[in-house]
Amino acid sequence: MSSQGPKGAEAVGLTIDTDVHQTRASDEEIEQYLPKRYQSIGVELPGRMYNNPGGVLREDVQNEDGTPAGSTPENIQTHLFDKFGIDYGILTGDILSLSVLPNRDYAHELARAYNELLVDKWLSADERFLGSVVVAPQNPKGAAELIREYGSHPQNKQVLMNSVSRGGYGHPYYWPIYEAAEEMDLPMALHPSNQGAGMSEPPNAVGYPSNYFARHNAMPMLHIGQLNSLMSEGVFAEFPTLDWVFIECGFTWVPMMMWRMDKDWKGLRQQVPWLKKAPSKYIIENTYYTTQPIAEPERPEQLEQIFEMMHADKTLMFSSDYPHWDNDHPEYGLPKMSESLRKRIMYENAEELYKVSE
Amino acid sequence: MTTRHEVCPAEELTPGERRIVEVGNLAIGVFNIDGEYYALNNVCPHQLAPLCEGRITGTVTSESVGEYDWEKNGQIVQCPWHHWEFDITTGESVFNPHKVRTRTFDVEVESKSDRDEQVSCYGTSLQGDEPPVQTYDVEIEEDIIVLYI
Ligand code: FES
Repeated sequence: MSSQGPKGAEAVGLTIDTDVHQTRASDEEIEQYLPKRYQSIGVELPGRMYNNPGGVLREDVQNEDGTPAGSTPENIQTHLFDKFGIDYGILTGDILSLSVLPNRDYAHELARAYNELLVDKWLSADERFLGSVVVAPQNPKGAAELIREYGSHPQNKQVLMNSVSRGGYGHPYYWPIYEAAEEMDLPMALHPSNQGAGMSEPPNAVGYPSNYFARHNAMPMLHIGQLNSLMSEGVFAEFPTLDWVFIECGFTWVPMMMWRMDKDWKGLRQQVPWLKKAPSKYIIENTYYTTQPIAEPERPEQLEQIFEMMHADKTLMFSSDYPHWDNDHPEYGLPKMSESLRKRIMYENAEELYKVSE
Repeated sequence: MTTRHEVCPAEELTPGERRIVEVGNLAIGVFNIDGEYYALNNVCPHQLAPLCEGRITGTVTSESVGEYDWEKNGQIVQCPWHHWEFDITTGESVFNPHKVRTRTFDVEVESKSDRDEQVSCYGTSLQGDEPPVQTYDVEIEEDIIVLYI
């Protein structure tokens, strides 16, 4: 309805949106794919311990029948793809909180059911939908199976896990997942969900924050922790061709971690002798970050300096997070920057990582 | 120059409701708060989302740490993106009323007395020469909501 709406593809140029949440209209959508032994349970995920007073889904784009925003292909096509001229959207779904369930087998079956629904309902509906194979990290063997099974679908472009895990993802316990991803030539991606609930670790390093505000502020700490774990345990050295995407937990902290890790590596290298180059080099070569929620410094132009510090021309990808409440506008969300950098962020980095046209 | 635009009959916009109208290339949210009418530009100053399509709610203030006071019930609209709160009666944001605001428009209710209608009483149907059922000239006064831009 906004009169000063976007000018569409013309204004934005080629765009890949790296975080689009297709959302189930009802639990039955997933349940139909669960094995018999879980039919009586259905979809049982921990409730939100942290609540947003305004809700989590955008209410201006709900479907007319009352089903939530993002729950039909048409909803995403109309309000995101067509409206803003988005060429591809990486689907990140709504089920990542299965990683906080203690029952490894059930979590794995939920992931399988989700992947079936993804292929059946979404990937078949529009070539602009690109999928993420969702896995249950607490079940590495099952996760590897799902990656080999669903990873061969040409529209599935990455493996996706919750940023919330038991212990850091660098631990060799998780490596069978990475072996499978590397074998299938798919990047690994992390996206937060329901941090603090179920059997997850506290959402930040000083425990459980009191409210959604504080938990939301603390999201970068999840990815700082995971990046630190992957680096120190040697995942980048063990899986040199495996790329990692860190979704929705900010990026302004990346230079800070690059500098801090490089400095510590010089004097503490003995503990991580497998790192053959400065940590920042692995970060630039093997990791990607997504833009939303965009940082809004007092002087927007300061972000340009951050872009330079983090080598954003190689590491940063546009994301909207449609249809969540904190989604960014594809045209007005990002600050001014050079045309060449804008192209890298809006399209080229993701194009190269996901090889979208293959 | 101010122009006048009819929005809808007043009874169609009951207290607590809103309606988005398009006038030229403007989209405007018209709100009824307890019988008073207000109009805001349907564009959020943040990322230009359709502000007036967000939740109509109240806000919380605090006299001291740990205290919460619910205020302005029904007088706040929360942008459907990023949830910035705006006072519907002023267009001002709650977090920075002087600097962050959306445009407001004048809105009024006007009586409209230009419709005469013949309204029949209840009665049996007319047969032959029987006198016609009594009729009245009724003037319906209809209030309409009018926006001035
Ligand atoms: S667009 Fe309204 S709060 Fe961001």
